[in-house]
Amino acid sequence: MELAAALSSVAPVLQAAENAGPALTAPGAAALAVGLAALGAGIAERGIGAAAMGAIAENEDLFGRGLIMTVLPETLVILALVVVFVV
Amino acid sequence: MSVRTEGSSNYEYVTARVRSRRAKLFDEDDYRKLVRMGPSEIARFMEETEYETEMNALGARHSGIDLVEYALNENLAKHFDDLLTWSEGPLYGYIANYLRKFDTWNVKTLIRGVYTDADREDIQDDLIRTGEFSDDFLDRLADATSIEELVELLENTIFGEPLADAFSDYESEGVLVPLENAVDRAFYAHLMDDIGTPEPDTPTALYREFLQAEIDFRNVRNALRIARSGADIDPAAYFMEGGRLFRAEEIRQLASNTEELVARIRESTYGDDLADALEDLEDADSLIGFEHALDSALLEYSQKLSNRYPLSVCPVLSYVLAKEREIENIRAIARGREAGLSVDEIETELVQ
Repeated sequence: MELAAALSSVAPVLQAAENAGPALTAPGAAALAVGLAALGAGIAERGIGAAAMGAIAENEDLFGRGLIMTVLPETLVILALVVVFVV
Repeated sequence: MSVRTEGSSNYEYVTARVRSRRAKLFDEDDYRKLVRMGPSEIARFMEETEYETEMNALGARHSGIDLVEYALNENLAKHFDDLLTWSEGPLYGYIANYLRKFDTWNVKTLIRGVYTDADREDIQDDLIRTGEFSDDFLDRLADATSIEELVELLENTIFGEPLADAFSDYESEGVLVPLENAVDRAFYAHLMDDIGTPEPDTPTALYREFLQAEIDFRNVRNALRIARSGADIDPAAYFMEGGRLFRAEEIRQLASNTEELVARIRESTYGDDLADALEDLEDADSLIGFEHALDSALLEYSQKLSNRYPLSVCPVLSYVLAKEREIENIRAIARGREAGLSVDEIETELVQ
């Protein structure tokens, strides 16, 4: 008896959740994609940046090249940004 | 006793710097030029290179070949201290362990200095100020006036116990051999601290392999020297633990028989690298060629490792070895020219 009462009180809540659609909307998923790509780029840049700083410390002429190498993974984020316009 | 710093290893930064420095070492052309110079020309040449700062700083106190030599030591210490300044985490531990090599050099220099009643100044000039000991500690060691005092000062270092054990031998025999042997053994015994038995084919495993190769080569060298000199010394007493090639009992038997020893090395993993050198050894009278071959085999091996695992301690070790070789080569050239050796003779002394 009590169980049935409890179920009937929960049921409308479950139905409401179904009506709300997916937990993650398309723009939300796109935002997540960009965020994850940026995180990946950050991890990649950590190593490259450290190595670039080492190289620049030894030879200052390498500044330009070091800078370019360091920001190369940033292209990942730009590609991920395309997703935002596609959805 | 291990050295630990916080955080993870910063391999990227250190290897980038080390590779750049390695590329700046003297190449064959520089050596070819150096070998044909007179002593004063060598000093002038050095002033225009990497060693400029040290040559100028020491120029007031020393001159000629001594100046070159002290500048080399100073420069070596500067570069290796840099390595320690840059590195963090486990990498720092690995490098510091390996650089204890210079602690052994310093301890031996101090012992010999005290033994021969050398001036405090002279001893201090000959120290290479890198490795685990701080400048202050080295200065205090240089103040010691007796070997007993030295042994007491070194009590809390890795050399403490072995030295204390060897001290009674020194007192009864009056020779330095037991003390120096104890120092070397302490270094090699602690070389592989912190490494344990890593997974095969990881950078740490290769580091271990490299250290084993170094110990093996050291053992081969000692065994051959004892065999050649015909001295009545027990080779097992000079045996370093930790290598892969021999065990202590074997070396006693092998040292008395050069042919067997050569056969043994040829069958080992180092056989291919040392093939040419072994042939030379069989028909040559001197060990110099073979010892140089061992040095360059180790150098090549370290280079191979550093290419296989770019982000590991291997490039750093390879740089340390290469830099040491450079210092030794320049010293050989400078001393050789001073003594009036011919170009060919000096060239056989160079290790590349």
